[in-house]
Amino acid sequence: MMPSCKDITEHSSDYLDRNLPWWKRPGYWLHLAMCVHCRRYVEQLKLTIATIGKSPNAVPPSISTDEMQTIVEKMKQSTKK
Amino acid sequence: MATPLLPSDDELIPKLLANDETSYAQVVAAYHGLMVQLARAIVGEAIADEVAQETWVAVLRALPKFERRSSLKTWILRIVSNTAKSRIRHESRTISLDESLEESPIVDPARFKPNAHWVSPPAMWHADTPDALLASTELHSCINNALHTLPPLQCATITLRDMQGLSMEAICKILEVSESNGRVLLHRARSRIQMAIEEHEKQ
Repeated sequence: MMPSCKDITEHSSDYLDRNLPWWKRPGYWLHLAMCVHCRRYVEQLKLTIATIGKSPNAVPPSISTDEMQTIVEKMKQSTKK
Repeated sequence: MATPLLPSDDELIPKLLANDETSYAQVVAAYHGLMVQLARAIVGEAIADEVAQETWVAVLRALPKFERRSSLKTWILRIVSNTAKSRIRHESRTISLDESLEESPIVDPARFKPNAHWVSPPAMWHADTPDALLASTELHSCINNALHTLPPLQCATITLRDMQGLSMEAICKILEVSESNGRVLLHRARSRIQMAIEEHEKQ
């Protein structure tokens, strides 16, 4: 059965992550081929995912030498207890 | 993320168990930033560093019992996640961790006709690349705000998946959620950020 636009929005991550069950794929592809709004929705989700990955938030905080020494010292102390 | 070169788990674990200081430093250099990032996603900025530091001691205590059913990295991140969740529960925060069963719709139902097709479809965005979107300082802070207002497990899932590229299998082990709940958390988080961008683009 052809999914509705709402169905497309609900399963768009699974579609982009290639995790859509095989039996849902043909209906999904067909809907996207026919519906410009859903194509745009899915493209915008794809762009959102790429943007999250490139945002400054994606970079883990760096650790200073002092902080590293403090942590290693705590680890050493914990094994002596 | 550029991870400092680490020996394999097979080499590293016996050295950590033997209290080898160089291995402590190597593993801290490799994973501490990621641990803080995950802790921030769950408990927020204020106590994330503390949670990550606390985790290292817990890691050493639990290491002799580590059964190697996952990589060392996944196992350490799971301890971060559990430590962070305990802090939330301990501090009796009102934040609910049981968010995976949240039933609110992904897209506002008012945007669909009764037959579930669009009545208010998405409009074009001014930019079509991440760099172009992030070039706007306002949009960048809008994404930032949206990330900070995500429920803890959604924020943790999107951090580990879309920022750090971990597999869903590893993420579900780290956060102790089922694969289907993990996928729901990820999609909800992504959709909220998408909606935040869309709202900004309308202005």
